[in-house]
Amino acid sequence: MAKDRLTEVLERYEAVIGLEIHTELTSLNSKMFCGCPVAFGGEPNTRVCPVCLGLPGALPVPNEAAVEATVLAGLSVECAIAPYSQFHRKQYFYPDMPKDYQISQYDLPFCGFGHVDIEVDGDGVAERIDLDAAVSANLLERDSDGYVTRIGVTRIHLEEDTGKMVHVGGSEGRISGADHSLVDFNRAGTPLMELVSEPDIRTPEEARRFAQKLRSIFLALGISDCSMEEGSMRVDGNVSVRPRGQVELGTKSEIKNMNSFKTLHDALAYEIVRQADEIDAGGRIVQETRHYDVGAKRTSALRSKEEAHDYRYFPEPDMVPFEFTPEWIEGIRARLPELPDARRDRFVRDFGLPKGDARTLAADASFADFFEEAVALTGPSLAKPLVNWALGDFSAYLNAEGISLGESRVTSAMLAELVELIGDGTISGKQGKVVFVEMTTSGDAPGAIVALRGMKQVSDSDAIEAAVDRVMAASPAEVANYRAGKTTLIGWFVGQVMREMKGQGNPGLVNEVLARKLDA
Amino acid sequence: MTVSSLSDFSQLSARAIRDGIVSGEFSAAEIASAAYSRIDALEPDIHAFNELTPQLAEEAAARIDAKVAAGELLPPLAGVPAAFKDNMNLVGTHTTCSSRILKNYQSVYDCSAVRRLLDAGALPIGKCNMDEFAFGSSTENSAFGPTRNPWDLDRVPGGSSGGSAAAVAAGMVTVSLGSDTGGSIRQPGALTGTVAMKPTYGRVSRYGIVAFASSLDQIGPFTRSVEDAAMVLNAIAGHDDMDATSVREAVPDFTVGLGDGVKGLRVGVVRDMVDLEGCAPEVRAATESALATLATLGAEVGEIDLPMSQHGLAAYYIIGPAEASSNLARFDGIRYGYRAPDAADVLDLYMRSRAEGFGAESIRRIMLGTHALSSGYYDAYYGTAQKTRTLITREFAAAFERFDVLITPTAPTVAFKIGEKAEDPLSMYLSDVYTIPLNLAGLPGISVPCAKSATTGLPIGVQIIGNHFDESTMLRVASALEAALALDMTPPLTGI
Amino acid sequence: MSISEADVRHVALLARLALSDEQIVRLQAELNSILGHIEHMQALDLEGVEPTSHSIPLRNATRPDVVRPGLSRELALLNAPEAENGAFVIPRIVGAEEGA
Ligand SMILES: [Mg+2]
Ligand SMILES: [Zn+2]
Repeated sequence: MAKDRLTEVLERYEAVIGLEIHTELTSLNSKMFCGCPVAFGGEPNTRVCPVCLGLPGALPVPNEAAVEATVLAGLSVECAIAPYSQFHRKQYFYPDMPKDYQISQYDLPFCGFGHVDIEVDGDGVAERIDLDAAVSANLLERDSDGYVTRIGVTRIHLEEDTGKMVHVGGSEGRISGADHSLVDFNRAGTPLMELVSEPDIRTPEEARRFAQKLRSIFLALGISDCSMEEGSMRVDGNVSVRPRGQVELGTKSEIKNMNSFKTLHDALAYEIVRQADEIDAGGRIVQETRHYDVGAKRTSALRSKEEAHDYRYFPEPDMVPFEFTPEWIEGIRARLPELPDARRDRFVRDFGLPKGDARTLAADASFADFFEEAVALTGPSLAKPLVNWALGDFSAYLNAEGISLGESRVTSAMLAELVELIGDGTISGKQGKVVFVEMTTSGDAPGAIVALRGMKQVSDSDAIEAAVDRVMAASPAEVANYRAGKTTLIGWFVGQVMREMKGQGNPGLVNEVLARKLDA
Repeated sequence: MTVSSLSDFSQLSARAIRDGIVSGEFSAAEIASAAYSRIDALEPDIHAFNELTPQLAEEAAARIDAKVAAGELLPPLAGVPAAFKDNMNLVGTHTTCSSRILKNYQSVYDCSAVRRLLDAGALPIGKCNMDEFAFGSSTENSAFGPTRNPWDLDRVPGGSSGGSAAAVAAGMVTVSLGSDTGGSIRQPGALTGTVAMKPTYGRVSRYGIVAFASSLDQIGPFTRSVEDAAMVLNAIAGHDDMDATSVREAVPDFTVGLGDGVKGLRVGVVRDMVDLEGCAPEVRAATESALATLATLGAEVGEIDLPMSQHGLAAYYIIGPAEASSNLARFDGIRYGYRAPDAADVLDLYMRSRAEGFGAESIRRIMLGTHALSSGYYDAYYGTAQKTRTLITREFAAAFERFDVLITPTAPTVAFKIGEKAEDPLSMYLSDVYTIPLNLAGLPGISVPCAKSATTGLPIGVQIIGNHFDESTMLRVASALEAALALDMTPPLTGI
Repeated sequence: MSISEADVRHVALLARLALSDEQIVRLQAELNSILGHIEHMQALDLEGVEPTSHSIPLRNATRPDVVRPGLSRELALLNAPEAENGAFVIPRIVGAEEGA
């Protein structure tokens, strides 16, 4: 999608977007209503029991830690916690749902009335056409970098995830065209937290930032790995458009299958343009569920039966209500860790990091922990080079290997040591890159690598003077040219000296000595 | 004594069986084989069982006999033959709920109450017939044919736990477990002359019993004596962490105080229930006579009306089907149970598997419950029923300020003829008019035999209602009445 | 409030029951008869009365977050009408894709 097409549409139409974000509580040991382990993948139907298979007679008992995690999430986004809440049954038949009803929450969810403030900067600012008109009461701040807007959180409730199906005989594992399907209930009953936002989102970029912000908060809370790829964080969007100035809302569609932050942005952008085009062409929008095709980069309507949904919600009679006392809620609140915004601000304040770097770092709690462990070793004076390494080569290494922090060969102590070796001039930055690659393959500490390879940077001025003398003696023509005014040759001389010194010369000193001798 | 005589066996109490095994009078294995001999003789006529489990019983008996040989202490129900309603899971058995849809369903885990009874030493003799999914009051709604009343083979044993009731009444087992959602233990208890108890809601775990209406269901015993009922309750009561509605209330020894008599106890007869139109005169008379007996024994008998409970049947016929319609959704032909052949797609598979798998009464209740919860009707039906339930619960709470126990008939009539009410669901529903309010209020109730009909000789039961978690007082009144009346509740078994 | 034949058909679809025309007609009569007998309850003054889901005032019943042994795959699939590669087999799905 061409960016200008979106902004062109957004100049005429206002988009109204609300998100529903399902987050599996992957850090729990056991499922929502039974003792089966929470895990990803595995052989089909190997993590099941009578409860999560919905066998006759089995009963659900709610996981205490899941309830606590949901309340913790609610508190982290300024929600009120309901003094009285309960589970309901949401009834519909579907083969991946063992009981043919989902235990969820209805009119009495655990959390409601919260909000999240998101910052939009960079390219995404351009999507917010009405920024100067400042029509939205939610717009909290704006400056030359961007703006901050507040997105309401309608509710957060707890429910159980469904099983998974593999569709056989069709194309690309999709339902349509499949001959039959295989059902695996390993995922069935995984604790699933659903957050519903207010329709306060106005641009695809805001939607992306909102989802990213929630991910960073939930990572900080340690309640989920929030992996959009593995489906432990799933985002659905409700989107409608209305001509600018119109108060009445347009008809919305619901977009599913947005399994990355980029996809979330692109799918919403596509849908906004599609709806505007439809209206421009004199058509009307029908309320429907649409599926985003990542390959084709477009949304398409899911075939739906005529039958209207009637979920027949009623209070789950296998369970009893929840009543949370203020003391209990405060006990949960006391568990709130430092949240990403506060951590970002502290990084800026204590380490003098640029705000963007601080935010990127704070968005991933375990990454931020990694940084903090390292900076504790180097001291704050090396915080900036440390961040550059962490967000640069180190992140690139994790991405390239497709591994998590926990699987990294390079520990926080090793990265700290590397930054110190560069900082005190033992090795050059260039040598540091070589050492880093060696660290990722051997897992050896940088000091050991430097010693083993004799990579110590030579800062001994006698050795450097000798090398410069040798190079100048061997290149009389170049010396003459330089002295005749072709000073750009300095680079060539540096290269020659460094080669003479097998790359170990301190580049600053080499430059200094060369300049002094050539200019003499 | 020996156990060679079947009639001897059928008269033995749970305590007598354990004592006999302890003293070496007979072995658990002999008890098991005596039970099966009697079943061999009577079962073809009565049809109390869906499945017999001689191998499980033999293994259990062998474990008891090994303990005896080793001189070990025996558990409280050692060697006591027990049967289970066929909606309770037990590994090694099928759990069919007397439905075509679960005809071949094999249990892969144990119902907690069943497990506890077996851990207390009981011998698993078999699984009992019932109304399909416990929907009914006659055990005629079974996909495998009706159970007959041992007192008169042309009559129903009541239901839905009719098989469990008949097995105990006929002396085929000593104790059995049933489930009671609106009277499904107490009503067949009354109709078969057995002692039949529904404990307080939450007292016995529901884990492993195929749910009918989750907020109403409760497991309880059929026995031939009040003391046996107390012993079974001792075994099965108590918190279970597999059931979120199971309470953590302390569990007393329910056999303690059974003989303490009723002197000074405040006994309230629910006058408007006794006088209810549709209550047979002989049932009314039997209830009055039981009250007179209690008064003679020193109870302070008073009267009370419970007008809200008159609405119990209506509330029940919304709440029960609503919860059932949801609980029975899982029988969809995907993971277990009957699957219609050659389905074109999943919807077709659902629609036909369920329509072909469920019997008429199940379909009726699923339809009623689905309607009551559907969009636009929830408030008028489910919401109204749940509020009515509040009023009924409050009314009972007020009654228990004045009385220690309440008394009503258990069922409005003696056992009716097979087929008599089969075509009229409403008249069948009326069989539970006295028992239903207790399920709505979560109260314990016990039916004890109090008379035999002068005309038919059929048993009549009286219902004693206790306050929440006060089964002990209820059992004490039941025991006093049992002792004072000293009725012989052995069915004649003529025609067998 | 009586229930129409169309209502009965709608409910049958909601409940996933393929009923014959005969069954529909009979059920309409039976359901109306039963619903007629609960009208006295609907006439009660229930203003301000809280609904009761359970008669026992239990609250906050939960279990600790502890893993317990489940079923082997053999037992999980023991009663499966059709299984393949350790999974339950179902015919094709026509219609909307549901989500949690
Ligand atoms: Mg949901
Ligand atoms: Zn499980």
